[in-house]
Amino acid sequence: MAEKMMIIDGVQCPFTNERNVLEVARNNGIDIPSLCYCENLSIYGGCRLCLVENERGAMDAACSMQPKNGLVVNTHTEKVLESRRTTLQLLMSSHRAQCLTCDKSGKCKLQDYAKRYGVDDTRFGANTYCREPKDESSKSIVRDPSKCILCGLCVRMCDEVQNIGAIDFTQRGKKAYVAPGFGKTLAETSCVGCGQCAAVCPTGAITIKNEVPKMWKMLHNKDKKVVVQFAPSVRVGMAEEFGMPANEAVTGKLVTALRRLGADVVYDTNLTADLTIMEESAEFLEKVKTGAKLPMFTSCCPGWIQHVEHKHPHLMPQVSTCGSPMEMFGALIRQQFKGEDVFSVAIMPCTAKKFEAARPELEKDGERLIDLVLTTTELVNMIKEAGIDFANLPDSEPDDPLGDYTGAGVIFGVTGGVTEAVIRRVLDDASPDALKTIAACGVRGLEGIKAFSVTAGDLTIKIAVANGLGNADKLIEKVESGEESFDFIEVMACPNGCIGGGGQPPASNKRKAERFDAIFKEDEACELKLPQQNPDLTYVYDELLKGRAHDLLHIHYPAHGHHE
Amino acid sequence: MEQIDLKVIDKILEKHGYDSSKVIAIMQDVQEEYRYLPKEALTYIADKVGMSESKLYGVATFYGNFSLDAKGKYVLKVCRGTACHVRKSGNVLQALYEATGLSEKKSTSDDGLFSIEIVSCLGACGLSPVVMVNETVHASMTPDKARDLIDDLRAKEG
Repeated sequence: MAEKMMIIDGVQCPFTNERNVLEVARNNGIDIPSLCYCENLSIYGGCRLCLVENERGAMDAACSMQPKNGLVVNTHTEKVLESRRTTLQLLMSSHRAQCLTCDKSGKCKLQDYAKRYGVDDTRFGANTYCREPKDESSKSIVRDPSKCILCGLCVRMCDEVQNIGAIDFTQRGKKAYVAPGFGKTLAETSCVGCGQCAAVCPTGAITIKNEVPKMWKMLHNKDKKVVVQFAPSVRVGMAEEFGMPANEAVTGKLVTALRRLGADVVYDTNLTADLTIMEESAEFLEKVKTGAKLPMFTSCCPGWIQHVEHKHPHLMPQVSTCGSPMEMFGALIRQQFKGEDVFSVAIMPCTAKKFEAARPELEKDGERLIDLVLTTTELVNMIKEAGIDFANLPDSEPDDPLGDYTGAGVIFGVTGGVTEAVIRRVLDDASPDALKTIAACGVRGLEGIKAFSVTAGDLTIKIAVANGLGNADKLIEKVESGEESFDFIEVMACPNGCIGGGGQPPASNKRKAERFDAIFKEDEACELKLPQQNPDLTYVYDELLKGRAHDLLHIHYPAHGHHE
Repeated sequence: MEQIDLKVIDKILEKHGYDSSKVIAIMQDVQEEYRYLPKEALTYIADKVGMSESKLYGVATFYGNFSLDAKGKYVLKVCRGTACHVRKSGNVLQALYEATGLSEKKSTSDDGLFSIEIVSCLGACGLSPVVMVNETVHASMTPDKARDLIDDLRAKEG
């Protein structure tokens, strides 16, 4: 069949199976503006910014237009440009513009478009914004309806991808706004704080809770020993923010930057990712041996934990009691610096970690394990604030001891990574052939749900991996209906896993695929691939934990019950 | 808050096959039963039809016909459409407000007897100005007739 072709702005644009004219244009290097469209969500057609003009002078939304062979559209005619300006002016009239002090300033699509399309006056006034109060109840995100332009991206993300529906449109017409039902605050809903709504919000209506000032205060406090850990996927989420290629990890520069910001000790959470695998594999094999109810679910994702508590509390006893790598490092830090005035900080790709860190369960021996969680985005802001030329920083290594890690820890940052690490641990074979076989068993890839099995000796383990809570719910439905059965299920709440976390700089699917590559490149660069090879583990178990491994590294949430 | 009988809601849900595409019909039936949509009923319905609470709340608040506040025993719909307006329905509304102690901001009386709603057209312009009390139409209203109407309804309640 001949190649299908559209003519956009007089340019021949080939296309295959793009879902709309907007995608065809973008794939051919023509950026049509849009505020309510996202490649991973259903088409809404609400913002009217992507209007294009056809040969007969009629205008239609490119997001809702099917690509057709021979179709001719123009994207910057006089009519289109005029319509765009008017649409932007209308949107701006119901948006509370506080650009100088807005958290989203510089990243706001409305601001960007207003500048790009030369909107130089507000024509319709700017006083009809929503008067609903700001909602700061969530530990993870802040909702400010006065800046909302009703694009509905957050609503669709929460409903279609995460299957939660914490927020939706309320009221009608000029009174409409996006909110939880019954005037509840976000904290009172089944919101898990994954932050995916903030990642798609084009304006400052939903933002990450900013705790940068708290961090500066502690860094400036000379009496405090600030100990910072950073998660696997942070290293692959920052590069693009400093004009570097997204498929490169920036681990060494990250460590240097943290020290220059004033951190006294810097650790890589990869170590406790290795540790998590040691504990989680042991727990899994024990469950298999004792015939405990399977599947066992992973427990490193705080969004997933909250989702189980809200929607599937009966499954909680099947969720691993292993603390997350963040929790485990928190516990190690308290042991390592016993008696010292330590402020324990975790840099995470995740907004839900802010909630996790504040949970009452994350306290051991009367001490909080983590004092503060900053997202990748917040750290990027701090580095910029400090005027650090990140791209040209020299590399450095995390502090000793507790500075070693293996490739198994690195890959925690992507969907399937925790599982692949568990398989590496259980098969206990570091030969390149064995690792290749594992990589090809079906565990790798960005698909929403993956199912496969692995044979270890006489044990065949049926495994499923889900990313995105909607996918997790689909999987659970299949397990509960008896349609499928698994022994081990990994869930990460965010699409693509932590590399696409709500605390990461927002990224397109293409960018996330680059981050995925960057993680595995980092894994390849690691000499050691199996968690059990980590040389620091002996020190951890023998010197720091001293028989308290279960007590310090496991977390029993209320819904876990007393099943042990 | 009013205690609601979930069995009543169950019956309504059953009638509509627990179908999430029929929530409007379901809510109409619930409103018929309680004269408004009690919060517990909505939460229960959302759970049973597998819809998020926020979405159902969104549907309920979208339609002016649905009320989330308890309404009075007598719901007075005062038409403020063009024909009624020309024939001075404003004065009728004012008289009703005065007689019931209600206002634009307070639409239901504390004794739970009266609710006053402003509607845009009842489709009976020939009878203007029109006031409906529940399902009964009162035609060619005047402020005096409005006051009498309230007195009559009060007398009926003893």
